[in-house]
Amino acid sequence: MIALDVRGLPPPEPFEQIMLALETLIKDDVLRVLIHREPYPLYEMLRESGYRHQTTALPDGNFSIEIGRAS
Amino acid sequence: MLSTEQAPPITVPLRFFAMAPLFLLLAAAILATGNSFTDAPLLLAATHCLTLGFITMVMAGAMQQILPVVIGSPMPASKSIAWLTLLPMSTGTLSLAGGFLYSNPALLYAACLILGFGFLIFISACLIAIYRAAARTSTQFALLLAILTLTITATLGIILANGYASGTALDYSKLTAAHISMGLGGWVILLIAGVSYQVVPMFQLTPNYPGWFSSGFAPALFVVLLLGLVARWWDVISLGYLSAGLFWMLAVSFAIITLRLQSQRRRRVADATLSFFRLGMSSLLCVALLSTLALYPPLQEDLTTLSVVIFITGFALSVIFGMLYKIVPFLVWFHLFRGGVKKGVPNMKSIIPEVWMWRHVQLHRATLLAILTASIWNPARWLAITGLALQSILLSYALFTAITIYQRTLKNLTNA
Repeated sequence: MIALDVRGLPPPEPFEQIMLALETLIKDDVLRVLIHREPYPLYEMLRESGYRHQTTALPDGNFSIEIGRAS
Repeated sequence: MLSTEQAPPITVPLRFFAMAPLFLLLAAAILATGNSFTDAPLLLAATHCLTLGFITMVMAGAMQQILPVVIGSPMPASKSIAWLTLLPMSTGTLSLAGGFLYSNPALLYAACLILGFGFLIFISACLIAIYRAAARTSTQFALLLAILTLTITATLGIILANGYASGTALDYSKLTAAHISMGLGGWVILLIAGVSYQVVPMFQLTPNYPGWFSSGFAPALFVVLLLGLVARWWDVISLGYLSAGLFWMLAVSFAIITLRLQSQRRRRVADATLSFFRLGMSSLLCVALLSTLALYPPLQEDLTTLSVVIFITGFALSVIFGMLYKIVPFLVWFHLFRGGVKKGVPNMKSIIPEVWMWRHVQLHRATLLAILTASIWNPARWLAITGLALQSILLSYALFTAITIYQRTLKNLTNA
């Protein structure tokens, strides 16, 4: 599991950092992203690029997104 | 905020954004031909270049981008609708401005027909998109109410222009007051608020607008505007004061909540969009004060006109400039980046150089100061007119820089 914290970064930095981190992902690795808003546009990009994701809303208002390659 | 499957082609909003600054320049040119800002035909022509040619033009372009994003329902046939809105809106505004300037009935009739057609297409397309949306959210309701107030504004405008052209006896003062309150108080504020709910937290890294506010503000404002119409039409003075008081309470609460959220932003770095928004919200507070002072009869006429001018130039233009400088680079970046990491996609911050945005902030502040000074010292209007013209050139330059970067990068990516 690779962790990436993009809380508090202005658009499009969270996008860029997430997509760059995904480039380094090995086959079954999962990227866990901590982010301050639910990034709807990212989901489309993930689908287009062949990734699956699961988002959990955290009690503190942030979101945790686990991203891995779609099987 | 965006969905690549549902977002319209980038050319749809950019065409509207690129056309709009030309009407700022035209407004400046029209004002330059007169001797004072109180010359009625000039003021009418220039005001409609600003409200229809610039503000509504940008907002119509933004609406085509916002609908699929916020309510997940794009406009039907977005490319065709864009042309069928953009062309009538541009030619109709020219015709209307010409009709006012030369007191030419044929141009006014033509404007009514062309703008009526353009608005019919635009409003119908928006309503279809809103009707088709599966989700029912507060932003969607705010957008629906903004469209309804636009419908009322356009209808009243067409009745007024037809009346001027034909010389029909109408109650012009009541109709004009209703046209202005629905256009500025309804369409402009409701759409700016609806878009701010999304843009302010996303780009300025602030907390979200409180739920009670984002769900209650638009319906409350709409009801208050309707009360104002009833009061004005049937001369119910107490209801008129009540609706005006409630309206300004709501507008002030929007400005204060936005300023408060911005003071709580996570990253305290200087940002041109933030400065434009703060200038816009401060102007809205200033307009609220001027409108309250205008209740005192000897000051009524001068302060009412000044309130409208500050609302348009200080509030609406500031916020729209701020939104454009965030949304356009983001759209360019997003449409180039889609599909994953690619070499050669420019950094979003380099798409419109920040130094140009800051020059625009300073120029806009100076223009507003000149407009205020011109209300007591007429020669200052030349500074205001020059400021408006320079802003048009600066904004056009910034937008065309972004469009050129998009086209050049896309070509390079396609050839790579």
